[in-house]
Amino acid sequence: MSAAHLSCDVAVVGAGPAGLAAARAAAEAGARVVCLDAFATPGGQYAMQPTQAESPFAATAPVALGRAAARAAGEAGAQILCGAEVFWGACVPGGFCLSVNHAGRALAVEAKALVVAAGAMERPLPFPGWTLPGVIGAGAAQRLLKTGTGALPLPGKTVLAGSGPFLLAVAQSFAKAGQRLDHFVEMQRPLPADVAKVFARHPGKLAEAARLGLDLRRSGAARHVGHMVTRALGTDRLEAVEIAPLSASGQPVMGRAREIDGVGTLAIGYGFQPVIDLTTALDAAHDFHAALGGWHCRADADGRTTVAGLWAAGETLGIGGAVPAQLSGRIAGAGAARTLGFSAPDVTGATQALGNARAFASALAQLYPPPQGLPVALPEDELICRCEDVTAGDIATAIAEGAHESFAVKTWTRAGMGPCQGRICGAGIAAALAQAGVPADKASYNRAHLPLRPVPLPLVRAAMQAQTEMETRP
Amino acid sequence: MTTLPQSAEVIVVGGGIVGLSVALALAEAGAKPLLLEAKSFGGAVTGGSLAAIGTHMHGLAEYGVMAHACDLWRAFAERTGNPFEHTAQGQVGFILDAEGMESGEGWVAEERALGAPCRMLTPAGLAEVEPRLTGPVLGATFAPDTATVNPFLAARTVLAEARAAGAVALDHAPVAGLLVEAGRIAGVCMADGAEIRAGQVVLASGPWSQEISVSAGVCLPLVPRQAQCLAALRQPPGTIRRIVSAVESRGGVASGYTQIQQAGSGQILFNTVVDFIETPPEAKDTVREVPSGFVLTSIDTLATLFPSLAEIPLLRSWVRFEAVSPDARFLAGAVGPEGLWVCAGDNGSGYCRSLMLGRFLAGEIIGAALLPGALQADARALYAPQRFTQVAA
Ligand SMILES: Cc1cc2nc3c(=O)[nH]c(=O)nc-3n(C[C@H](O)[C@H](O)[C@H](O)COP(=O)(O)OP(=O)(O)OC[C@H]3O[C@@H](n4cnc5c(N)ncnc54)[C@H](O)[C@@H]3O)c2cc1C
Ligand SMILES: Cc1cc2nc3c(=O)[nH]c(=O)nc-3n(C[C@H](O)[C@H](O)[C@H](O)COP(=O)(O)OP(=O)(O)OC[C@H]3O[C@@H](n4cnc5c(N)ncnc54)[C@H](O)[C@@H]3O)c2cc1C
Repeated sequence: MSAAHLSCDVAVVGAGPAGLAAARAAAEAGARVVCLDAFATPGGQYAMQPTQAESPFAATAPVALGRAAARAAGEAGAQILCGAEVFWGACVPGGFCLSVNHAGRALAVEAKALVVAAGAMERPLPFPGWTLPGVIGAGAAQRLLKTGTGALPLPGKTVLAGSGPFLLAVAQSFAKAGQRLDHFVEMQRPLPADVAKVFARHPGKLAEAARLGLDLRRSGAARHVGHMVTRALGTDRLEAVEIAPLSASGQPVMGRAREIDGVGTLAIGYGFQPVIDLTTALDAAHDFHAALGGWHCRADADGRTTVAGLWAAGETLGIGGAVPAQLSGRIAGAGAARTLGFSAPDVTGATQALGNARAFASALAQLYPPPQGLPVALPEDELICRCEDVTAGDIATAIAEGAHESFAVKTWTRAGMGPCQGRICGAGIAAALAQAGVPADKASYNRAHLPLRPVPLPLVRAAMQAQTEMETRP
Repeated sequence: MTTLPQSAEVIVVGGGIVGLSVALALAEAGAKPLLLEAKSFGGAVTGGSLAAIGTHMHGLAEYGVMAHACDLWRAFAERTGNPFEHTAQGQVGFILDAEGMESGEGWVAEERALGAPCRMLTPAGLAEVEPRLTGPVLGATFAPDTATVNPFLAARTVLAEARAAGAVALDHAPVAGLLVEAGRIAGVCMADGAEIRAGQVVLASGPWSQEISVSAGVCLPLVPRQAQCLAALRQPPGTIRRIVSAVESRGGVASGYTQIQQAGSGQILFNTVVDFIETPPEAKDTVREVPSGFVLTSIDTLATLFPSLAEIPLLRSWVRFEAVSPDARFLAGAVGPEGLWVCAGDNGSGYCRSLMLGRFLAGEIIGAALLPGALQADARALYAPQRFTQVAA
């Protein structure tokens, strides 16, 4: 097998709000742009396109936005490739070589500049019973609702739980899909005065917030604010969920715990974390900020990372939602094109709007601070890494014996060495380290290496052949 | 993490498998070692190792000490209940051409003469020993006693045993330089400026040993060499039964290198180096990615030998740095000012030797032979750092 070749000025990884905006801005400036996304259609997470025409989401604003953004980028001349998973990126003379699994065929994309807009992923924190079938991520629930016919496959009651404003968006999707949502369990209980302060400063957001509140009510769910899920119960699959109120110090009050029975689905999420595999592999600097979802790529106001020619946009730069994503995409796309000598449009307006959008996102994040440690103490035998069967006890022992960073926990226990490469257990390991008193900057993150996702050897070979040619050509 | 002590009897700089082994042997001999590791224990080349433990194709001069090194690993596994997956699965050296056949037959004849249980395999014999190795091989060498250990768990076990025997080991404690007073070692200076006094200091810091020794006016002839590996997704147990390696050409000519094995986790670990990769000295302080050419040769070799594995998914890759000496042998012994010792220069196969070197060097430091019989003297002759200073003189 040999790899297909594409050559361009600017390659964009990710076709979510950020990537599509970047592709459009760079293409409008006259750059040849290739935009790659692993999903089957452009749109990313927020603007995910339904697969069924009769989906109740077909006419929603995010879906329309995704369609419009993809059309605009295409009309500006950007080539958008879906079903294209970027599994490696390397610096080569004159730019970058991306190795792509394009629907099972190897593709090598050569680009003078690279914009990484890889978005966010769920931040699953382990709790007792979290591996029972029937327990899913809040983001996964959202995806099932949005992409399919709008139905969750499992019978029984549905509980949506966790922390963060995103939970409200998922509740809204339940309402939109006409799916029953029985219980809504939110850790935080922001003071009305603090909420009022945020919206006084960002009045434009009020309507959207009111709609989210209304839709939550419309979903008919019983609301348990200031509560958390302390256990998922069941033998072969989820049967019941235990919830408890939180004390002032944020600890669950187990004396007042109660069970919700007959549960078929528990959708749970403690916020999102930036996708930083490609930017860490390319050795860009990263910073930690809890309110931004933890480790995220460092960039200046134009989206320029610490690696020459490498730009970042959207939630790779920190969690903030679709509006900052779109704005930062436009800024980075224009910046990348301008640096290559194209006359990109002025983005001062976008830069100002981005500041404002980020301020709102960060105010919101402060109302709903994502938990950093483990939300509930775990029994010794609770699995944290499902790929390699590593338990909470194994990890606690390793930390006690001297594994004082994410990398060491991984090498000492194998947690994160399986097929998911830490995507599922990484947040749990970070939380276990935080729990043990290791500060985040010391705990650090595990840098990605070839390949970013498992890829059949013949594809790797074909792509590396292409990369070798780019590296060695005169 | 922990506050540093102000003094120690012996300081070991470096918490890879070699430093950990030195600390274990010192602690067991009653000295109270303090081990200082710059980052995480076993996080450098130790954690990136394929950790084969055997004597096959390691050169005849070291055969005696190597055989003992393997015995020490076996005994250590028995004593500790083997929490580190010590498994004697055997080693196959595949032969692709007439030249390889000559080398293989040479190794086997000479090692057998020294008492090794190795032998030659015909293609039919190989089919029984390694059924999935169906590539175009003319035959193979077979060393049934070569073992592997899990490199992370073995380092962890050595650390735990060293602590149980009285060693203090601290991670994230980088040493910046050596203290020399009146011509002898007085301790170490930490990166944060703190000083720890000690009469004896052991440099077991892999390719970093050379930079640290400079602060005591010593120049160790060690250079870093990049080494790397690929891991493919977990396959059923028994997919690859042995350690599969290229037969090394004899006479010290670098002839390419292959090692393929299935880890306890089921993952297939494989690497083939055809041309050694240029390694600038500062490279060892960075995280590097596998070179594309290395990926090509490694995949091609795996696919040639194991056609049924040609399309399995790649999962992971990593790069580490070994310490290379001019004659491909360790430097273990006293060096420079009195009280300074070195145990580095693994040349890519230090896992195997580590427990033996730890005992050898601990013996030299406390003035007792901890290796049996003539082996302490043999090791002294083999690994003496002075062999280079003498050549220079
Ligand atoms: C599961 C989930 C559900 C979400 N749902 C909502 C929601 O309903 N409402 C809301 O406001 N926010 C939601 N968010 C938050 C959302 O991420 C942002 O609002 C917004 O989508 C960010 O835009 P982005 O362009 O930065 O990233 P994304 O929209 O996430 O786009 C990133 C894109 O990059 C692609 N990508 C990443 N790595 C690679 C690679 N190596 N190769 C190829 N393609 C790659 C991904 O497939 C994805 O399409 C959700 C987040 C997640 C993780
Ligand atoms: C792919 C691969 C396969 C291999 N296969 C085998 C095999 O099959 N058999 C075998 O025997 N060997 C094998 N090896 C080699 C083996 O792993 C090494 O020889 C062995 O691990 C060397 O151990 P070490 O302790 O000397 O080095 P290291 O593990 O590098 O330890 C040195 C330590 O010193 C620390 N350090 C550095 N500077 C300082 C400082 N200033 N202060 C404090 N600490 C410091 C470092 O952080 C490091 O942890 C393989 C290696 C690789 C990469």
